[in-house]
Amino acid sequence: MYKLVNPHWSAPEQRHVQRLTDNAFIPFVEDNTDYQAYLRWLEAGNTPEPAEENQ
Amino acid sequence: MTLAVNIAQSGSNNVTFRNRIINGAMVIDQRNAGASVTVTSDGSYQLDRWQSVLTAGSKFSIQQSTTTATGFKNSTLLTSLSAYSLTGSDRFGWQQQVEGLNTYDLSWGAAGASAVTLSFWVRSSLTGTMGGCVTNSAQNRSYPFSFTINSANTFEYKTITIAGDTSGTWLTTNGTGLVVRFCLGAVSSYRNTAGAWAAGDYWGPTGGVDFVSTNGATMYFTGVQLEAGTTASPFEYCPFGLEKYLCERYCQTTYPYGTAPGSNISFNGIIGRTGCAGVNGTGEIYQSTQFKQQMRTTPTISFYDVAGTAAKVTFTTYAVQDTNNISGTVGQSSANGFGVTANQSGYGGSSYHYLVTAEL
Repeated sequence: MYKLVNPHWSAPEQRHVQRLTDNAFIPFVEDNTDYQAYLRWLEAGNTPEPAEENQ
Repeated sequence: MTLAVNIAQSGSNNVTFRNRIINGAMVIDQRNAGASVTVTSDGSYQLDRWQSVLTAGSKFSIQQSTTTATGFKNSTLLTSLSAYSLTGSDRFGWQQQVEGLNTYDLSWGAAGASAVTLSFWVRSSLTGTMGGCVTNSAQNRSYPFSFTINSANTFEYKTITIAGDTSGTWLTTNGTGLVVRFCLGAVSSYRNTAGAWAAGDYWGPTGGVDFVSTNGATMYFTGVQLEAGTTASPFEYCPFGLEKYLCERYCQTTYPYGTAPGSNISFNGIIGRTGCAGVNGTGEIYQSTQFKQQMRTTPTISFYDVAGTAAKVTFTTYAVQDTNNISGTVGQSSANGFGVTANQSGYGGSSYHYLVTAEL
């Protein structure tokens, strides 16, 4: 349901994850509600797909 | 001499920006452009700022409608899709979360909390007692309210005055200040006595009609207003451009108004293209976008090539015009904008449409 995204070289501190149901990019930002949903998904025992090697 | 007027404490209805509800007249529908949507996901948004909450999917649909009360252009139409029998902890609602930065003056959670008045137009194929609640972000303080549909398929005007809650935690940040929820169905354990604050998560009044339990039932809402004070004032009309701007703190798109994101509309709405491939014909193209206004928080980002394919960009060089379906990814993002990166050969630039959401 989610896939990790490699950080961009210009902002390695910024992380995103891609939601595979609609291909949206979700920032790792605490008050983004989609990120909160992602954290709940992780807490339920799920694991995201790894980032693509060529990103 | 103090000139500032605290609207909540004055209780005055004769002020502008008194409506804490955004898009109460249901005129803005950036995501779906008037199309009907079967609601499958808890927490999903349809018309701008209006959210569906549920424990089972596909029990109702939502659509911006032109069937509306006199003096309005639009309403939200909810249609029940089955005769669903509620069980367990089932509950269904349609709501707006009001940002704490827009409710802090109510002083809820403390002595001196201001009363508010909710008013709206509603039409339903069902008659009887309907309702909803006002609740906090933690959903541990609830004020169930009720209203009666007297005549089927007729717009009726309802007003409900709610005493300010002097207990509980009510955020005054960019989080959820309060929630106004219309109940579409709830088991008895999520219902409570109307007209009083209670500690707990109560979605509607005891004995209220479960809308989702009648196949084909309809409800229309428009003119929803929540204001400080104990009196409902006439609905505060807002210029279309301003209403859309208020919505864009939470949801923005490049698509022209009336066009759903992901549509194939070529470059219509895109204001330019920038970016450059790397040296020797291979490398990275990177295009950044500044939002129309700073958003509530760093948003979730969807971008589309000009043919409407998600997570793709359109690449253009002097030699080759507009190659679609080029994979991209978000490089940087903030509440002010974002950048998309893609690997591509040749000197040129990338273009994309976007939909970004920073809802509560």
